[in-house]
Amino acid sequence: MEYDLATVSGLFGHAFSMWWIMIPAIMVGLVAGAVPGFAAHNTIIILLPLTLALNVELALTFMVSLYCASHLGCGIPAILVNIPGTGGAAATTLDGYPMTKNGQAVKALALCFVASVLGGLISSIVTLFALPMLSKVGYYIHSVEMVVVMLFGLALIASIAAQDMLKGLIAGAFGLMLGAMGADHIYATPRGTFGFLALFDGVPLVPALIGLFAISEALVMLEETTLVKQGSQSRGRVTWRESAKEIFHAFTYWWQIVWTSILGLIIGALPGAGASIASFVAYQQSLFFSKTPEKFGTGHPQGVIAPESANNGVTTGTLVPLLAIGVPGGSTAAVMMIVLQFHGVPFGPRLFVEQPQLAYGVIAVMAVSYIMMIPFMFPMVRYMSRITVISTVYLAPFIVAFTLVGAFVPRGFIFDMGVAVAFGVIGYIARKTGYHVAAILIGVILGPLIERSFLLAMRISGNDPMVMFSSTIGNVLWVMLILTLALPPLMQRRRAWLERQTSKSHAGPDA
Amino acid sequence: MKNFVRNAGFTAIAAMALATYLSVPALAQDTDYPDGNISITIPTGEGGGADRDARAITKVWAKYLERNSEFSYYPGAAGQVGYEFFMKSKADGTHLMFSNIGPEVIMLELQDVPITIGEDLVYIQKTSTEPMAIWVGANSKFETLQQLIEEAKERPVTISVSRLPHPASIGMLALGEATGAEFNLIPYGGGNPTAMAAITGEVDASALPLANPITLGPEARVLGIFADENPVPDQTGNAPTVNEAAGTDLPALTSSRAFAVQASVLEEYPERVELLKKTIRETLVDPDYVAAVAAAGVPVEFIDPGDQEAAMAEAAATAELATKYRDLLTGE
Repeated sequence: MEYDLATVSGLFGHAFSMWWIMIPAIMVGLVAGAVPGFAAHNTIIILLPLTLALNVELALTFMVSLYCASHLGCGIPAILVNIPGTGGAAATTLDGYPMTKNGQAVKALALCFVASVLGGLISSIVTLFALPMLSKVGYYIHSVEMVVVMLFGLALIASIAAQDMLKGLIAGAFGLMLGAMGADHIYATPRGTFGFLALFDGVPLVPALIGLFAISEALVMLEETTLVKQGSQSRGRVTWRESAKEIFHAFTYWWQIVWTSILGLIIGALPGAGASIASFVAYQQSLFFSKTPEKFGTGHPQGVIAPESANNGVTTGTLVPLLAIGVPGGSTAAVMMIVLQFHGVPFGPRLFVEQPQLAYGVIAVMAVSYIMMIPFMFPMVRYMSRITVISTVYLAPFIVAFTLVGAFVPRGFIFDMGVAVAFGVIGYIARKTGYHVAAILIGVILGPLIERSFLLAMRISGNDPMVMFSSTIGNVLWVMLILTLALPPLMQRRRAWLERQTSKSHAGPDA
Repeated sequence: MKNFVRNAGFTAIAAMALATYLSVPALAQDTDYPDGNISITIPTGEGGGADRDARAITKVWAKYLERNSEFSYYPGAAGQVGYEFFMKSKADGTHLMFSNIGPEVIMLELQDVPITIGEDLVYIQKTSTEPMAIWVGANSKFETLQQLIEEAKERPVTISVSRLPHPASIGMLALGEATGAEFNLIPYGGGNPTAMAAITGEVDASALPLANPITLGPEARVLGIFADENPVPDQTGNAPTVNEAAGTDLPALTSSRAFAVQASVLEEYPERVELLKKTIRETLVDPDYVAAVAAAGVPVEFIDPGDQEAAMAEAAATAELATKYRDLLTGE
């Protein structure tokens, strides 16, 4: 397809003409994202009778808009009440919730929305023009390279553990151990399931997420009267002007949004990779390149920007394997493929040959969806931040009830509510004893993914461990990973040495 | 005595009333069956081949059954989770399992699952049958199955499979045994990632049910089919059967989608099962269903209205194969 101005404007014009179905889809997506348990693919499955009844273009428009909006929405509970409803939002809690506790909920929400909208918009436009190139990413990144990519995310444990290395590593190892539960990837042999059938598919992610973060936080919350720390500036009522000011200020982080969203796009384009990996890797890389890495984890704006823009960069990336090759790269894309098949629409390269308007139109719809989300940002920033002034006496029980329902929704198992409570207790004990719950969580989320890629790579190589160093791209990634891990402490030592030298030189003449 | 008679009379009347009360809804229930949506358990994830096929059939089936279907997905442990959860569901004909007989019977044979086909669960009606196929991505250097086998005699050739307990895996192991080729099976845990591994060149080739490479169109090249003859030559580039290409004498390896119920349903509600079978068979010959299958990119030649006897015979034959290759499939 040739990209002249008329073609591109035609695609966007057509996408805008479907505003009447995009706006309801965005509203449903925002709610689905904000309610723990209702991830995009769950909601799309629930609404399949509707989308199967629509014509294929409208159905795709509805699903894609809902999908994009849900990725924006999932940051809201992560920031306001420490509930990451999906794996992709888990990294947002690391700085988003501390910002809320510091009385900066308005700012955090503004950062989250701007990063999501701008990140999603940028990645959609990049995809529109670079789809052939992006579709090739999967041809070069295989299991070996995926192991190293995910190790970037796992390296976050080391950063988190920096303050207390032993406790951090114990927490990370505990998370990896929990992540190893379930049937193994090769022979489907159950491991550590204690005979519970509901654990055969591994530790259910959403109950674990909301238990570790939300329920444990609700218990901690009851020790205070308000969500916001005493002494912090808490704003119950925020004016439109203040909301707009924070939103416009968030655009000053445009460069970080650009590169983290493209990172998310590339990771999203990899088959099997998704928002969880992208957001943790983006967070870890932002920490590495930041001039103020020590502020991460304490309520740093960059710690909200990175996961949110990467999380939304993934949305378009996920569709790349489906559109370009015809194989869905993730669960949401798989459900979208069902709708395409149901309507007899070809997918993969045939889609671009037989119905190019539909193929490129999907990406244009994504971009337009993000543009249409802009007006939603202002009221959401203004009104949603008010949740922080609710007394914890009411908020904590509400969070527990809300999250227990969220734990039940994805699979419909009562057992999962028990899992959420168990993880809540684990999280509470971890908080009270100084073990970082985020380190546990990273292990739970990334552990099974790394294990799968590692086992595939090993099996392909005939169990030769040197396979991990057998590809050029993989080796480049290894070097980058080593630099990522080794440079910060070296730089820190150098800074400390320089400071000592400076203080000596200052002290010398005075003495 | 009077009191006894009065009490006995009262008890008898009460018992009769209770029996009438209990029997009336039961009778009403049968005439009304199904009085709500049909729940369908799919022992794999959403968006896979089973989901695609289940939605295609239930769309048209609703016309005959006058009820819609609701889906529940239970992936995990090669289908074990779905089977075990299904066995716990209400056994009254309102809950059905949409199965993939080949891989799931092998799973039941090889894993420690407390379910016996025939005794606990019965496949009542097939909907489609397709052979297993060996195929490569469009960019692969392998043009023929013979080339792949020759290479596999020199070095282990990697083959992506959906899971080890699968007819396609058995086919590759049997082919290796018959030709002296070494195939290294890599289980990717689902049709989509399995196909992607072959297309992107992470593995040398893939073994999956034939519908998978056909739906991929020009991205896939079929090298051989585990069947006595190629049922869809025009959609597979006139690919040969494995036996033709490799000079072997392997059995046909197929897998069928089929609806299953708990065995107790057959005994307690035989008329309900008959209604289910009758309406499924009507659906399978409905032109709307044939069109839905074609629209999904699946060859209509795969539609197979095999009855309970045929489905159970396939399950028995598959179980026999699983027993034969147990050691290779379980790594024991």
